[in-house]
Amino acid sequence: MAEVVIEVRGLTKHYPDAKAVDGIDFEVRAGEIFSLLGPNGAGKTTTVEILEGLRDPTGGEARVFGVDVRTGYAKIRDRVGVLPQDFEPFDRLKPREAVAYWAALFDRTLAKKDVEDVLERVGLTSRADAQSMTLSGGEKRRLGIALSLVGDPDLVFLDEPTTGLDPSARRDLWGLIRGLKAAGKTVVLTTHYLDEAEQLADDVAIMNKGKIVSHGTPEELISRHGGGTTIVLAGAGQDGAAVLAARGIPATVENGNVLVHVATPSEVRKMLATVAAVEIPVTEIYTKRATLEDVFMKVVGARMAEGELAA
Amino acid sequence: MKRILADVRAFGVQFMRSRVGAFFAIAFPIILILLFGAIFSGGGSTKVPIYVQDLSDSPMSYNFTAALNATTVLEVRTIPKGEEILTYIRDHSLNTALRIPADFQTKILANQSVNVTLYGDPTQSSYGIAYAAVNGAATQFNFEIARARPIVLPETQTIAARNLKFIDLFLPGVIGLTVLTSPLFGMTNVCAEYRTRKFFKFLATTRLSKGEWLASKVIWYSFLMLVSTAIMFAVERLVFGGVAVITPIAILLIIAGTFQFTSLGMILGMYVRDTETAAAVANAIGFPMMFLAGSFFPVDTMPPALQVVARVLPLTYVNEGLRATMVFGNDATALLYLGITMVIGVVLFIIPAKALSWKSK
Repeated sequence: MAEVVIEVRGLTKHYPDAKAVDGIDFEVRAGEIFSLLGPNGAGKTTTVEILEGLRDPTGGEARVFGVDVRTGYAKIRDRVGVLPQDFEPFDRLKPREAVAYWAALFDRTLAKKDVEDVLERVGLTSRADAQSMTLSGGEKRRLGIALSLVGDPDLVFLDEPTTGLDPSARRDLWGLIRGLKAAGKTVVLTTHYLDEAEQLADDVAIMNKGKIVSHGTPEELISRHGGGTTIVLAGAGQDGAAVLAARGIPATVENGNVLVHVATPSEVRKMLATVAAVEIPVTEIYTKRATLEDVFMKVVGARMAEGELAA
Repeated sequence: MKRILADVRAFGVQFMRSRVGAFFAIAFPIILILLFGAIFSGGGSTKVPIYVQDLSDSPMSYNFTAALNATTVLEVRTIPKGEEILTYIRDHSLNTALRIPADFQTKILANQSVNVTLYGDPTQSSYGIAYAAVNGAATQFNFEIARARPIVLPETQTIAARNLKFIDLFLPGVIGLTVLTSPLFGMTNVCAEYRTRKFFKFLATTRLSKGEWLASKVIWYSFLMLVSTAIMFAVERLVFGGVAVITPIAILLIIAGTFQFTSLGMILGMYVRDTETAAAVANAIGFPMMFLAGSFFPVDTMPPALQVVARVLPLTYVNEGLRATMVFGNDATALLYLGITMVIGVVLFIIPAKALSWKSK
């Protein structure tokens, strides 16, 4: 089994008026993408800032590479790269200059070619000589990731790296994050985008109100909190649900569609044939696999707004 | 050291690309030197104009008017005889005017007293100059009429080793002003921006320490102030033929002054909410100091209460120290003020070095 890179036990961060982190436990192993997923204010950023040595915990234990983050961060600073939440670059530095500058702050001297390599890795070569204030939102985040990598860290914290970006820029960054994993880096990714966690993470901890409310691989979470498959009878409405109920098939209605939940995959084909045989006016029949979104609906009780969680 | 130099370089590049910063550090002091130099060192007259209505129109009154002109501080201009003098003063917004009565010569020849009337606003400095000059001219006139000679006479001797010009006295004040404004205003703003844009937090993820970051800002602003001083000095010499000199103590004072105002800017920047507030706070601290600390005129000319205030302002010691060493060659006083400036600088530096936190609470 891979080395434990991060170890958190009973971690708390309390303020006079709130418990931002309230006794959480988890481990992150080398080479995996670990995602802290939760709505705004869940305690994700507070947790990662403690792990980055930027915030002192109130209680509990947090170790990174076996070092207590409260006392020993100087020993591991070089092994950790950080992209902070809402990262903004220095406006008047060009990406090429920013990379060389940031490397020097880790006592590293990057040759011109090394700088080029870092910029190429994050897809910023063509914008290397533009002042950072002229970069797009996606390019700025790419520069932030470039800066987090100049120390050649083993562990990279990415705090909501795609927030506010358009779908295309988000997917571009996903490719970059997958590349980090492929390069053997351990990545801690905080996000409030469900699809992001589902697409990228090997291990997901769902946080809400300072606590971890569920933890596991995306598949485990889906399976644990309902899983299965849903047959959707589009446009069948309340009448359709009543017809199915009369035949002993439990169904729910959502937005005018009738949903029939099938717990085990082997039952799907049979149930599909059954409901298709019932004379109900529908516009379409399709199946839908449970997703992290469904898990959230259950464990967080949050509402979804265009894929983004709102508490 | 490598980290500090990298930070100095990155900060400097950004600073010079910000045209506002470069303007206030380099161009603004030059403009000030050119402006004040042109006003006080140019070929224009610095005499106080006095408007004279000579109702006597006699040889005696001509001689008196000539005596006024001969004082070298007054420039006599004429009010026509037919004008009502108070109306004329009001209509022409005059500061000072003098009326010589119609019986001026008659009374003098009759050995009687005669009054010349000086009109003016005593709150204006020009009035005081005009009064002293008119009084002096009248006394001289009296001696001549009485065929007497004064017993006690003032004798003047210049104490400056060189032929000083006003611009020489002004240059140290402008250097002091620049040493105040650029680091103070700049650092207040930088600290506020770094905090609100979370740059401090990002820097905390590197090996750069707070002390190194603070030191790099002091180094950058010291370099900038020395460049700015060199340019101002060159302008003063080449354009106005000034004779003030840049001494090693002056250079140390500029660096020490920069050190203390960079530190003061950091302290202010730690507590302001955003960059807009930072500008307001820096103005509130900086502008009174500019005027009270002797940048534009010597502290000794201010009312006693303000002189007490000036003595607690750190800029006063920079200005007075620079003036002492650059203009009067008084290095002993300059060294004393250098010491005071260094002590204030160290105290001001320790505060942000201890209190400024890059971590979140």
